Amino acid sequence: MSGVASTLAKKRAMAAGFGTNANAVRYLNQNFEALRAQCLDNGQLFSDPMFPAAPESLGFKELGSSSYKTRGVTWKRPTELVSKPEFIVGGATRTDICQGALGDCWLLAAIASLTLNEFVMARVVPQDQSFGQNYAGIFHFQFWQFGEWVDVVIDDRLPVKDGELLFVHSAEGREFWSALLEKAYAKVNGCYEALSGGSTTEGFEDFTGGIAENFDLRQPPSNLFQVIKKALEAGALLGCSIDITSAADSEAVTRQKLVKGHAYSLTGAVEVNYRGRQEKLVRMRNPWGQVEWTGAWSDGSSEWSYVTGDCPHANAEDGEFWMSFNEFLRNYSRVEVCTLTPDTIEDDSVKHWSISKFDGTWRRGSTAGGCRNNPYTFWMNPQFVIKLDEEDDDPDDGEVGCSFVVGLIQKNRRRLRKQGEDMHTIGFAIYEFHGQRDVHLDKNFFLSHAQKARSETFINLREVSNRFKLPPGEYLIVPSTFDPHLNGDFCIRVFSEKQAETVNIDDVFLVFVSVQDLVSDQDVDSGFKNLFTKLAGPDMEISASELQTIMNKIVSKRTDIKTDGFSLDTCRVMVNLMDDSGNGKLGLGEFATLWKKVQNYLSIYKKNDSDNSGTMSTPEMRVALKDAGFSLNNTIYQQLVARYSDPDMTIDFDNFVSCLMRMELMFRIFYKLDTNSSGSIELDFQQWLTFAMI
Amino acid sequence: QFAPSNPPPPRRPVAYAEKHESDEEKQFRRVFQQLAGDDMEVSPTELMNILNKIIGKHGDLKTDGFSIESCRSMVAVMDSDSTGKLGFHEFKYLWDNIKKWQGVYKTFDEDRSGSIGPNELPKAFTAAGFRLNDQLFNMIIRRYSDESGNMDFDNYIGCLVRLDAMCRAFKTLDKDNNGTIKVNIKEWLQLTMYS
Repeated sequence: MSGVASTLAKKRAMAAGFGTNANAVRYLNQNFEALRAQCLDNGQLFSDPMFPAAPESLGFKELGSSSYKTRGVTWKRPTELVSKPEFIVGGATRTDICQGALGDCWLLAAIASLTLNEFVMARVVPQDQSFGQNYAGIFHFQFWQFGEWVDVVIDDRLPVKDGELLFVHSAEGREFWSALLEKAYAKVNGCYEALSGGSTTEGFEDFTGGIAENFDLRQPPSNLFQVIKKALEAGALLGCSIDITSAADSEAVTRQKLVKGHAYSLTGAVEVNYRGRQEKLVRMRNPWGQVEWTGAWSDGSSEWSYVTGDCPHANAEDGEFWMSFNEFLRNYSRVEVCTLTPDTIEDDSVKHWSISKFDGTWRRGSTAGGCRNNPYTFWMNPQFVIKLDEEDDDPDDGEVGCSFVVGLIQKNRRRLRKQGEDMHTIGFAIYEFHGQRDVHLDKNFFLSHAQKARSETFINLREVSNRFKLPPGEYLIVPSTFDPHLNGDFCIRVFSEKQAETVNIDDVFLVFVSVQDLVSDQDVDSGFKNLFTKLAGPDMEISASELQTIMNKIVSKRTDIKTDGFSLDTCRVMVNLMDDSGNGKLGLGEFATLWKKVQNYLSIYKKNDSDNSGTMSTPEMRVALKDAGFSLNNTIYQQLVARYSDPDMTIDFDNFVSCLMRMELMFRIFYKLDTNSSGSIELDFQQWLTFAMI
Repeated sequence: QFAPSNPPPPRRPVAYAEKHESDEEKQFRRVFQQLAGDDMEVSPTELMNILNKIIGKHGDLKTDGFSIESCRSMVAVMDSDSTGKLGFHEFKYLWDNIKKWQGVYKTFDEDRSGSIGPNELPKAFTAAGFRLNDQLFNMIIRRYSDESGNMDFDNYIGCLVRLDAMCRAFKTLDKDNNGTIKVNIKEWLQLTMYS
């Protein structure tokens, strides 16, 4: 793996356009076209070794192999279940999705909205497959997974109990796209059981790559109508529903024919001139295609006669109806808005939001700082700067400002459920901020500045997203887990109505500034010369192992710094850094220069060991690195902590020196090779090994 | 120039992996579980303890024991998510290589001194899959051997683990196979500092 290199290679591939919907990443490296061709050649139906037709693909607990729920389950291909299976019959519709024995209604609701948008549907369900020509028992689907599209291959063996599909099935018994889609989604998440429980927005996002927001209609934001209208203009998917208070309420129909606990789509929003005043209206659709609202503004109701000027078509399509916005707020409980990214929207006439996306990580000891309750470590979290220049253009909405949505997603946690892990509790804070943008802000900034805005809650969902409206300016976004010291990977996205500039502070230049105080042989005073002569022996040079002896003699006398002794490796790096003559040993001047450097590092170490523990805590280390002249980003810092800290997350003196010496060496090599300051260097194999093996 | 050992297999679903393991792998997984503790990851200290325990049983290998520093370096070059620990597959890869290289070490320690002398080194490294030129061998001897040019067992393993990782890193980054790689300062530091 040589971990770092493969991570870098992947990053480069992403930058080159892999992972877009048109160029999806092959999940587990399985190539649909090649596998299908191979099966057709061999005259065999595909059996997926990566997601076998076996108990472990079903689940681990409730659907585990010893559970009564999985007793008697067999795996059958659609061709073994019905005589003429079809992939899709007469276009994909909502009735294609009936829930099975799994608590994944959230997913099904999302699949249902997916069927309302042909373009989005076609991206998730590629059209190049069927049970007809070229059928080989293999299918594939595409999902958005934390910033990239993945192409997932499955075989069509489906779990069956008592002759019926165990999970999702279509009302039209010979249609199988929804059951196969569910299987592919289960594969990405590890097993079917991992899909149990979730929110519709999670599914919305995995099918579109968009960003989802939730609005509670008991406390709607004052500009909600505006938000809905703009979202529709931008081609977003909108859903709304009425909460139920008990299971018996599910799909109960009110007196005015609204269905509770049921997902509606919201498809339109207009203002009309009604009896001389402005009236806000919204259009809804019941996915059943029938059962419509019967109150004011319903199909053919009398209100329509009093509208002057522009008027939408009053008798909307089947299942579709209008109602006044006020009544909508009174009757419905929540609205879910999934804003699509520009690449999802086919239609050029809609207004695109601008989007920026960054991947990041929290690592114990370096960047897992926890929420603001932890002032000592909070500042160590990854930081992102967003610059809002232009105000929104919406004259109706009294408040001026820049609208943007921040979404923070934690990656891969659903997949870890099998190992007993689950979602972290996550959220973010936003600070107003002026000044240098390429600097990771330190503890003092957060102690002296109040947050300007924040995520509504810290919550253990996959994603936290919130909408903000702030005056133009520069803002700092700090994502974190609630508790510090938790390892996690995340992706943060900022959607803004107007172009906004977002900077990952992690992408700043890495710089090392230091004045190399070279000491020449002549500058050395006689006391030091005598000392050197004694240490160096007859060859008048100090080797790495002699240096080791000297260093350890010195540190062993000190009680104020902790160390478990300098290793020979560290001393070799020190010799390498100073050894201008290239003989692997240090002469008088070289040794004197090194000595000065060690003294300097010692004073930085002492100064930053603010609790006088004799070791450096990782937050202290970050400041110390800065004092020593290194401007570093999070990624490097995480690596340094992982590489040089002890299990209790402290760094002792020998590791401190070792880290700084090595880093200085690497900076110097880079600067030396980058002769024209182009910012990058080219190495052949020989050069690479020469430096990498140091 | 460089014959890489097989890269670790792609990560498969745990359930699949468990089902398709050979008996040897199953046994190894049990050992790993004991060694890695609750978090199922091997830290540098855990690695050091296990390596030193094993070399203690081989009297014919000259070594002053694996240092924590060299174990940290070995973990770093194998670790892909900068948690500072090794997962099952990474550890298994490391382990298989160590076993293989130990065999090479014994074969090429021709004078039975317990360590690899400067004349034995090129042959041993070539047998381990690394055909390097004299200049690189000299650099390696300066860096990993003692003052008389002899490389003991812990330095030998530390050196090969690193060499293997760095060769693979080069191959991974040289996507177009033109024999050179281009890195910026950020990538450079990531590659060289976490090693």
